[in-house]
Amino acid sequence: MELAWYALLGLFFATYLVLGGYDYGVGLLLARGGTLAARRAALTAVGPFFLGNEVWLVAAVGILFGAFPTLEGELLSGLYPAVLGALAGVVLVTAGVQLRSRPRAGSARAGWDRVIIAGSVLAALGWGAVLGGLLQGVPLTADGHVAGVGHLFTPFVAAVALATLALVAVQGATFLTLRLPAADTPSVARLARRLVPAALAAVAAATLLGLLSDRVRAAVARPLVAVLLLSALVAALLVARTALGRGRAGVAFTATSAALALPVALIGAALWPRVLVSTVDPAASLTVADAAASGPTLSLLGWLALPLVPALLGFQAMCWWVFRGRTDGRAPVYW
Amino acid sequence: MDPLLLARLQFATTTSIHFLFVVVTLGLVTLLVALQTAGFITGKPVYERLTRFWGQLYVINYVLGIATGIVMEFQFGLNWSGLSRYVGNVFGAPLAIETLVAFFLESTFLGMWIFGWHRLRRGVHLALLWGVALTAYASAFWIMVANAWLQHPVGYEVRDGVAHLTDFSALLTNPTLTFAFGHVVSASLVTGGMLMAAVSAWHLIRRTPDFALFRKSLRLGLLTFAVAVVFLIGFGFAQFGPVGELQPTKFGGGADRDALVAEWTARFGPGDYTPPTLSNVGLGFMILIGMALFFGILVVPLLWRDWIIRLQFPLWLILLAVPLPFVAVILGWIAREVGRQPWVAYGLLPTGQAVSPVGPGLMLTSLIGFTLLLGTLAVTNWVLLARHAARGAHDPALGRPPAPDTDTRPHPVFA
Repeated sequence: MELAWYALLGLFFATYLVLGGYDYGVGLLLARGGTLAARRAALTAVGPFFLGNEVWLVAAVGILFGAFPTLEGELLSGLYPAVLGALAGVVLVTAGVQLRSRPRAGSARAGWDRVIIAGSVLAALGWGAVLGGLLQGVPLTADGHVAGVGHLFTPFVAAVALATLALVAVQGATFLTLRLPAADTPSVARLARRLVPAALAAVAAATLLGLLSDRVRAAVARPLVAVLLLSALVAALLVARTALGRGRAGVAFTATSAALALPVALIGAALWPRVLVSTVDPAASLTVADAAASGPTLSLLGWLALPLVPALLGFQAMCWWVFRGRTDGRAPVYW
Repeated sequence: MDPLLLARLQFATTTSIHFLFVVVTLGLVTLLVALQTAGFITGKPVYERLTRFWGQLYVINYVLGIATGIVMEFQFGLNWSGLSRYVGNVFGAPLAIETLVAFFLESTFLGMWIFGWHRLRRGVHLALLWGVALTAYASAFWIMVANAWLQHPVGYEVRDGVAHLTDFSALLTNPTLTFAFGHVVSASLVTGGMLMAAVSAWHLIRRTPDFALFRKSLRLGLLTFAVAVVFLIGFGFAQFGPVGELQPTKFGGGADRDALVAEWTARFGPGDYTPPTLSNVGLGFMILIGMALFFGILVVPLLWRDWIIRLQFPLWLILLAVPLPFVAVILGWIAREVGRQPWVAYGLLPTGQAVSPVGPGLMLTSLIGFTLLLGTLAVTNWVLLARHAARGAHDPALGRPPAPDTDTRPHPVFA
């Protein structure tokens, strides 16, 4: 039962990284400048999906609170600065994207675009830092609390945050090759292709710093699985690069999406059965079973989730289906 | 500085801003459903124009509802980790249900509704708005289930210092839930109706074009307001009975309160178990405002033969009264939440035990940062709302028909 909920939590958070990833990636790419029309075209490509993307985050935290209350409290307060940054980023992007086109003046819109860019950077770095922080463990003491937040400031966490930022940028550019009018795609496809090596370099740096870090080596209980999933991530990025070169936007997007989802699987599998690894007292580590809510709560939520999750997926799929294909002159423009 | 005070201040600020936007969301979405359904049935273009105009304001307002809502959700873990540690098994369930059943779908539907104009079949498009409205009500319901549990914990047993769920149906039949939910929904309809009537009144005073359109929304807004305000006051006073009985410390003195304070002193040690006076002051002013709003019903007969528009001064009254429901909902929230202090879950978990062991510096950074961020966004949002309201229903960006299919690029003339 706990495992099923843990998997569902992972699924929701990974889906958020994939879908929110292209929101923030497209947001980051607004920094390239370009005409107002080009920037608006990029946001129109995200258009109908934007509101349905960040709900995955809200639902993931809902599952975290309902099914893993102890983890919720310690995870969020233990990684306070990282969560704070990510949260500020999410708020800025949410408000920026939805409000940018409400003023009529071009200057006001350019100002809101800067808000979106800053928010996207913060969100990508923040969630990256959360992932890195999980993988290197936290100073969880025997009384069940995380002591201080200084543990977060390590080169490894910085490298994972930067790698996430690079992955998000690749994801955004690849999404645009999939969605923009066919005439506009070659330039974004070239950009996406150029960003892949940067992402690979960032992932390599994070891996190297992870191997050098005692804390990461101690926290990873299943090195083989970690190496396997990491190779899959690298392979996905290489596939994306090839596919982008051949104009196969769908394949490329699937590959970059896998690259964003894999870190979540990696952390879940590498730390299993623990979820919050203590760096100060191995016995104090929080396992998935310890972190889970008690039986009656899980079974109540389980009966509810059984019919509900397919419905949620169905309505999301409806949104993707209705607005499938490339944007064109007749696409509704609102953001 | 005391981290407990900082955490409480942050929660109060975020929730207050959140509440100001969600009451409008809940009220306006109900009216939008009425407008779009009327348009669907009658096929009259005026209803589509009304839906686009009010829908535009609704969508702008919705932005801050989400932004503040996300911050609130994370705050439970960031600042109140004790809450999830001790009562998360029970309190977390309705919150998890709210995110999955309600908010997830509400936002998904709304995204499709915004971009679905002229693209989806009219029936599907209308169904999406119904979906948004129903999930918005579901959202309010589950949040009130969670809140009612903090007011009066039920359906649990404590083992090893941690609360475990024993009876979920008790959460749904919580005596502090039913009337409070009705009260909050009525307050939303009062606020939404008042806002609609006031914006229409402004256009009618200024004699902008679209007389027929704003006359219609004035009537709809005012009638909704008038019906809802009766329920608002009814549900409000109906709460005194159960709340006074279940929370003897909330409204001041009495033998019950002294007995309960004595019991708590024995169980939790000596302390100040009476809520700050702020809560009862808030309650008093809220009732005053509620009564003032109630007299607003007197304006309704003036709808006959448009006397309300011909006389003009009732329109001014409506316009000037707009801040009242907003002030009242904040005061009402203070009465309910500050009135349960010093408990986070009444009689079960003291507020001081629920706060995260986070340093005051970090807590202060978070408080100042998010207050500035959300405060700035809230003011910006209201300015945008006011500008769009003043701009009139001539051509809102929401639901604008696509340009003729001559160019393959989305064109900036859409601006």
